[in-house]
Amino acid sequence: MRLLRYALLGALGLAYAANTTNGSRDSVKSTFSPPQHFRNVNLVRNINLEKSYARDTVNVVIENVSPQPQSEYYIAFDGSIQNIGGVEVRDKKDAEKGRFQVELVADPLPSTAGFYKVTFPTAVKAKEQLTLSITYFSISVLQPLPALINQNEKQYVSFDFSAYAPSAYTTLKQKTKLKLPTTDVPDATVVPKELNAENKLDPQKEAKTFTYGPYNEQSAGSERAVSVRYEYTHPLTHGRLLERDIEVSHWGGNIATEERHWLSNRGAALKDHFSRVKYQQAAYYNPPSNALKELRFPLPVGSIDAYFVDDIGNVSTSRFRANARESNLELKPRYPLFGNWNYSFKAGWSANLDRFLRKVKGSSHSYVLNVRFFEGPRQNEGVEYERVVTRIILPEGALDEILFYKTYFDTVGRTTLKLTAINLVDELRDRELIVTYDYPFLTSFRKPLTIFTALMLVFAASWVVGNLDVSIGKKQKAA
Amino acid sequence: MADSEDSSKGSTTSSLRNAWGNVLAFFILLLIGVLAFSIRLFSVIKYESVIHEFDPYFNYRVTQYLTKNGIYDFWNWFDDRTWYPLGRVIGGTVYPGLTLTAGSIWRIVNSLNIPLSVETVCVFTAPIFSANAAWATYLLTKEVKGVGAGLTAAALLGMVPSYISRSVAGSYDNEAVAIFALIFTFYLYVKTLNTGSLFYATLNALAYFYMVCSWGGYTFIINLIPMHVLLCIVTGRYSSRLYIAYAPLVVLGTLLAALVPVVGFNAVMTSEHFASFLVFIVINVVALVHYIKGILSPKMFKVAMTLVVTFGMAICCAVIAVLVALVASSPTKGWSGRSLSLLDPTYASKYIPIIASVSEHQPPTWPSYFMDINVLAFLVPAGIIACFLPLSDASSFVVLYIVTSVYFSGVMVRLMLVLAPAACIMSGIALSEAFDVFTRSIKFQLSGLLERASGAGDITSGSVAPQNDGPKADKQSTSDKPEDSIKERPSRKNKKKEKENVEKVPVKSKAEKRLLVLPLETSAIAILLLVLMGAFYVVHCVWAAAEAYSAPSIVLTSYSNDGLHVFDDFREAYAWLRHNTDVDDKVASWWDYGYQTTAMANRTVIVDNNTWNNTHIATVGTAMSSPEKAAWEIFNSLDVKYVLVVFGGLVGYPSDDINKFLWMVRIGGGVFPHIKEPDYLRDGQYRIDSQATPTMLNCLMYKLSYYRFVETDGKAFDRVRRTEIGKKYFKLTHFEEVFTSHHWMMRIYKLKPPKNRIRGKTKKSKSGSKSSTANVKRDGKKKNPWH
Repeated sequence: MRLLRYALLGALGLAYAANTTNGSRDSVKSTFSPPQHFRNVNLVRNINLEKSYARDTVNVVIENVSPQPQSEYYIAFDGSIQNIGGVEVRDKKDAEKGRFQVELVADPLPSTAGFYKVTFPTAVKAKEQLTLSITYFSISVLQPLPALINQNEKQYVSFDFSAYAPSAYTTLKQKTKLKLPTTDVPDATVVPKELNAENKLDPQKEAKTFTYGPYNEQSAGSERAVSVRYEYTHPLTHGRLLERDIEVSHWGGNIATEERHWLSNRGAALKDHFSRVKYQQAAYYNPPSNALKELRFPLPVGSIDAYFVDDIGNVSTSRFRANARESNLELKPRYPLFGNWNYSFKAGWSANLDRFLRKVKGSSHSYVLNVRFFEGPRQNEGVEYERVVTRIILPEGALDEILFYKTYFDTVGRTTLKLTAINLVDELRDRELIVTYDYPFLTSFRKPLTIFTALMLVFAASWVVGNLDVSIGKKQKAA
Repeated sequence: MADSEDSSKGSTTSSLRNAWGNVLAFFILLLIGVLAFSIRLFSVIKYESVIHEFDPYFNYRVTQYLTKNGIYDFWNWFDDRTWYPLGRVIGGTVYPGLTLTAGSIWRIVNSLNIPLSVETVCVFTAPIFSANAAWATYLLTKEVKGVGAGLTAAALLGMVPSYISRSVAGSYDNEAVAIFALIFTFYLYVKTLNTGSLFYATLNALAYFYMVCSWGGYTFIINLIPMHVLLCIVTGRYSSRLYIAYAPLVVLGTLLAALVPVVGFNAVMTSEHFASFLVFIVINVVALVHYIKGILSPKMFKVAMTLVVTFGMAICCAVIAVLVALVASSPTKGWSGRSLSLLDPTYASKYIPIIASVSEHQPPTWPSYFMDINVLAFLVPAGIIACFLPLSDASSFVVLYIVTSVYFSGVMVRLMLVLAPAACIMSGIALSEAFDVFTRSIKFQLSGLLERASGAGDITSGSVAPQNDGPKADKQSTSDKPEDSIKERPSRKNKKKEKENVEKVPVKSKAEKRLLVLPLETSAIAILLLVLMGAFYVVHCVWAAAEAYSAPSIVLTSYSNDGLHVFDDFREAYAWLRHNTDVDDKVASWWDYGYQTTAMANRTVIVDNNTWNNTHIATVGTAMSSPEKAAWEIFNSLDVKYVLVVFGGLVGYPSDDINKFLWMVRIGGGVFPHIKEPDYLRDGQYRIDSQATPTMLNCLMYKLSYYRFVETDGKAFDRVRRTEIGKKYFKLTHFEEVFTSHHWMMRIYKLKPPKNRIRGKTKKSKSGSKSSTANVKRDGKKKNPWH
């Protein structure tokens, strides 16, 4: 009877695994090369660099060149596969179909090569074409250059990529568009005119947009390394790890969320060390800076009891604003995070369980829980996460399957669901996670019964001990 | 008439009344416990659940280690993150009582699946033990003067400001547990004295062991109890109960004390403990004499006496001579510095600047008595008088306790803490006796009045009167101390238990009833005044708990026009160190911040608040008072990477390093004579303005504190010293600023690597004498490349 199903709605593209990320990856030999069943007829790659990570949107028309129907398409990436996350593939012409299933096919670490495999629900017949819309994020790809700057100086970052869009198949026609956050671009690698299909200056600049290509036919795996360097005076906020616990309490009617963040700023380090004088002087006219000064957590409406603590206690520089329409937690780290500086902290809040939990219709003890997979801060310049571990702690006795977690007066421990995802960005923060579980009525009385029994035992024991006569010799009666 | 009725009924209903009295006393005690616990939570409510001050951070770190690594690793713990490069043997140099207590609480709580963090347990250990201490006070005072006095004393102790100052939530220090242990040991001693039970004597030794584990103040016990025993013997109060109370305590207690690593053989080798052994010999001799006296005829006894006395004197003289010789041969006469400064208050300031530099080792001022024990100071004499009516073994002990603790509190502010329980006990006795007398007078007079008023009327009205009296007396007392309503019953109960009192008590109570009757109005006014006094005390205690003693000192707040302002600079800087420096970097600072740096920043420090090595501290003091280059050399020779200074000049935080600087000079100069205090003073005055001496203006502490300070307001006005600083514009040559906290209270500097310096400033070769100190410390290991 007791069963548990969970679905990561809307986040199927995330590479998540129950225990370890590596465990779920197919280990394929490094010599793996995808079978050439497809070719890319036309490919347009858009790289959005407005945030502190790169968001790629690849629109590609693919054609099955093999005689048989094929349902597996491989996606290649430039740079390390370890930096790729949030891969989502849709049919551009038919968006309602939803996402296709994707799966990581990578060599074991430390190799950085690998592919994502897309499986189409219906196979693509021979000679048939399909338009795919592939989106993914690359984290840790912006490198500050110069790596050391002064405290109030502009920060420049360089972004390395391949002018030829990475592909596991032959590409007939392609171009790559860069969307930059600024027009201040001191360096951009120039591709020789003769490689350009239209013999134009390559790249084409138009305000904040740079276009590489179009290029003529390129074989699978061909690369042309280029880089752009542009001004980006914002923190490169990098979450090394985000641990997140969601604890459901039926007795308290409460759902408690706690997030533990380990943040770094990947931005340019300070050439001279931090100067408080300069920092305070700059505070008057508030210039752009690569220091991370504030984190804003938009919380679910109705959140209460928010807190912000780190290893050594409460951090007083936080504000929690809650009203009927929104709840916002604004945190300032103890110190501004300049390039290469780190900080770790805990933030948590509670909310009424009713908003997140409902009973399954027609069942007396089945519940559906709908929570966010991860929340974290939402920043203008974006936040990237190497690894997000979400634990959902269900009431005691809800099920015994994966892990146990014991808290106040628990006996057998609580059912805990642990999900790990890698390479996420804050744009994905509102993806839902739906858990269905059984929680029999009697189980909910386990705790009061336990406490009652324990107290009875204590009383009984003290009564017995109180009545023991351990005196040596005969008792003298009081006169 | 009503009285006679009562007494006839009393025998039949006394057991029921006793039961009710017990239940009432139990609930009062419970409430006292709740009060003692909750009055200490102001710090959590006003600030947060956080460890306070300096020493508690060390205790917290030790507890963390204990809970993580277990008891065996704890005993063997060699801490290499402090006193670099010497390290410190933690297991053998801490009083483990507090740590083990909190560690056990944590373990028990966690085994019940209550996931409290170690920090939470540590924060609330002190309030829990305050409640325990209040209950122990009840027990002790009950043994001395009955339940009423016990309850009053417990209530007073639950909120005495002196104890609150050391046991607010978060003040995770030895004293928090030790005061409980102290009172409980005394209770068991008195209990043994009253009952003569070997069971309690053994418990007493165990309680003493716990006290030894908890606090260095255990020497107070091991000197006070012998004093009392001696007093009893001298005043002819020797009894077998006294022997049972004392002999097992010395034997078992000393054996157990020697088990604690930090005490070890000190338990038999230092002068602090000699008094107990001497008295042990004396009590044995006296016991022998009594025994012989019992078995011999008076004639034979006289003969034996002369014999024993001659031989005994000879042996005693020999033993004492040997002891004196032994003691005199050791340099400090076998007394530790802190104990010596107890006997001679001027000792520390003369010889040990490190002890003298701690504010809590200074003698208290008169206002601090009023602050810390408030109205108890006035009640104590009354209590002492009450203890002499009649004088029993137990009450004489309490009198001795208060007398000695008053002396010690006069020597060191810190020992006010030992005075507080004594003062509470005495005041409890005084209040309880006073209420007893006044309420009895009222009762007596009222019944007389009513009888006269009703005249020959029916007796029923007379019998109603005392019933009306009861609740009235209760009302008066519940408004302050509700215990006097049950005051008389326990004394009856005690009659059964304490055989010795059997004859005395009834006689006494009858006599009292006749003699101690005061006029009705006087009694009523006196009660009113006492209640007012009690109310004043409560108000004062709550104020002290809420305002004076709750600040955690790592978070400061101030109220200004635009509301509450929080100064969280210490943790800001420690967090920065923790997250942004290498885990093995060494951080130098004045020793006050050593414990906090190791606990909060998790970085290795050179010196910390456990001031066991004067030379090492003097080295840091010397570096701070040297010019930049010499300081750099000293720090570099100690592998220091970062130097941390506390600077209050921007926001007016008075206990910063510049104000402590003279102590650094003194302590440094005590070991390295080239640092001379007069060099830093202009005409005997300590100043940092333009009149300051060049030595002062060029020393490292000055430079690190005021580096770029002028850029904040253009004038460099120091808000603590209320003056503009002397030297405003200067550059650092050997150090670079890496972090300054929001309000400039913490400034962290990094030692520049040697390479930069060769190209950098002028190469003045006058480092002769000063660099030699560094080389003397650790020659060979680090050769300075520019020599």
